Amino acid sequence: MVNNALPRPVQQLINEFSRLPGIGSKSAARLTFFLLRSGGQLALDLSVALQELKEKTRFCSICFNITEEEPCLICQDDTRDKRLLCVVEEPLDLLALERARAYSGQYHVLHGAISPIEGIGPEDLRIDELVKRVSEGDFDEIILATNPTLEGESTALYLKRRLADTGVRMTGLARGLSVGGDLEYTDEITLGRALDGRVDL
Amino acid sequence: MLESGHSQKGWTSPQESLRYLFMHITHLSLTNFRNYGRLELDLPLGSILLHGENAQGKTNLLEAIYYLATSRSPQADQDSQLINWDAAEAGDSVVVGRLIAQVATQAGSRHIEIRLIQEQGLSLRDGQRSFRRQALVDRRKVRLMDLLGNLRVVMFLPQDMQIVTGSPSERRRYLDITLCQIDPIYCRTLSGYNKTVEQRNALLRQIGEGTSSQDLLPVYSDKLIELGSRIFARRSLFLGELAREAQRVHYEELTKGTESIRLRYLPRLQENGSGSRGSVGPLIALSEWLQENQMDQPAIQAKFSEALAAAQANDIARGATSVGPHRDDWRFWINGRDLSRYGSRGQQRSAILALKMAEINWMNAATGESPILLLDEVLAELDEHRREMLLSYVLKSSQALLTATDPAMFTAGFMKQSTSMTVSNGRVQPDDD
Ligand SMILES: Nc1ncnc2c1ncn2[C@@H]1O[C@H](COP(=O)(O)OP(=O)(O)OP(=O)(O)O)[C@@H](O)[C@H]1O
Ligand SMILES: [Mg+2]
Ligand SMILES: [Zn+2]
Repeated sequence: MVNNALPRPVQQLINEFSRLPGIGSKSAARLTFFLLRSGGQLALDLSVALQELKEKTRFCSICFNITEEEPCLICQDDTRDKRLLCVVEEPLDLLALERARAYSGQYHVLHGAISPIEGIGPEDLRIDELVKRVSEGDFDEIILATNPTLEGESTALYLKRRLADTGVRMTGLARGLSVGGDLEYTDEITLGRALDGRVDL
Repeated sequence: MLESGHSQKGWTSPQESLRYLFMHITHLSLTNFRNYGRLELDLPLGSILLHGENAQGKTNLLEAIYYLATSRSPQADQDSQLINWDAAEAGDSVVVGRLIAQVATQAGSRHIEIRLIQEQGLSLRDGQRSFRRQALVDRRKVRLMDLLGNLRVVMFLPQDMQIVTGSPSERRRYLDITLCQIDPIYCRTLSGYNKTVEQRNALLRQIGEGTSSQDLLPVYSDKLIELGSRIFARRSLFLGELAREAQRVHYEELTKGTESIRLRYLPRLQENGSGSRGSVGPLIALSEWLQENQMDQPAIQAKFSEALAAAQANDIARGATSVGPHRDDWRFWINGRDLSRYGSRGQQRSAILALKMAEINWMNAATGESPILLLDEVLAELDEHRREMLLSYVLKSSQALLTATDPAMFTAGFMKQSTSMTVSNGRVQPDDD
């Protein structure tokens, strides 16, 4: 949307908003004019939040969760089980499992799932880091908690092959999760149950 | 008339006499669908004749019902074409086409709905206008796949002949749409299988280009074998049943015992040697093997796995998976010869008719309910005997919608037993008697 009647900063913010997923040019314009009309504090708070998002967060060097501290609070926590490792696709999946309060081991965040169609291969995910971590570590069990989608399941099957040499026991979440769904949107009870009923792969 | 004919010998539901109480649409509501800006239409039981001039919306109405039952259009290649174009061009940021059927079944009444949603903003990913669909059963969102089975239809179209003469993909499409209306597990398996094929093909191309290593391939091959073997088995079972019934209908009802057709599954459990016109001999042998081993998943998996392994080098070179149910075919033979090559048009038409009638009987037997019949202009093409046979199916169904430009071709007797409505420029008006 290019419009000469609009001052450049307004036009620019509209353009930036419309680069976000799920936001078309109309919504982008609506958001921009909302900010323009609202008091100065809202726009300021937003800009600070955006800046800190990039400046003050990083990936934990152990589990690759997003964190402000290095290593992250979960990896630092000595009360958590050090011999149990749970592999998830996204930080939001980790968050969902934490909300379920049914798990207190370590995590590993892959940052996606294998999908050749989208050009995502094993090397685009934190898989080599996982293999290294498991071979050098002292784990009793690895829970492969990828999403119950084709991509998630294929990723789990691939991990199973890659980790077979380590000899560590591997489990998957029990079925009962809605097939084709996302961990992130699953309710706590179902997630807790799925964790309890995890199975050997 | 109602008690005679095929119902004595064919598959009949135990509740034959109660069938009129079963599956039918009581109300249809369309918004921004094709040339229907807004339609609210009550539908009675029995046969309904939709008549009107050309280009008024007769076919579109049948298409709407077919779409609610199958989530597919018999003709549009892009579902976004289904949205009323005046609404789509009005400049609103979101345009919604809405199809709703209130369906009465044995299990009670159900409200089923599909929304076609077109957003005018260009999507960033592909620069296309973004289009999506939503399905609702009793006003709760469900996956499109889970909508299937709530409304079952058998459709007759003038272009059905392509099932005989067209490409294998036409025949697979027919097979899948029919089976999916009855078997939700098949439908889910098929959807997973198709996604696996796409992923595997993308991977094969990357391996061919040297941008991906081979160690991912077994993951997708294993998944393909697991899901594909179930599809092979289900199709074999289904086509076996359909073949027997189509053969019976054809022989007993359509050709008065003079001609015999045979329908055979050609499972792609083996690489095709010499292009698409390659000999079907080996596939027929595999078809027979599959019939005998239908219940033996490990045996089917072993065979499929062997075929995939044999094709692997070629598949990498071509960047596509060449064996598996996504390359299946099935065909008709008439008096021992391939119907698509050696059959006359009349013979091909009879075979299609036999297939569709068998489909009706098969659905009856599988669900205990008669499917809703949708007949678009097909009666005009039939000779008197076949027309009579087809009308006997119409009169036996709980609900059937027929279209015609000229209602005069129907007998007074038939008109008396059906409700007729005039379709004119996206409006439907019941006729006064
Ligand atoms: N997306 C759309 N929006 C608006 N109108 C459409 C759309 N798609 C098709 N139409 C129009 O719908 C009209 C009616 O089509 P339909 O095929 O239902 O006619 P019909 O009554 O079956 O005619 P015939 O007797 O020729 O088969 C056509 O004129 C066509 O141009
Ligand atoms: Mg028409
Ligand atoms: Zn960490």
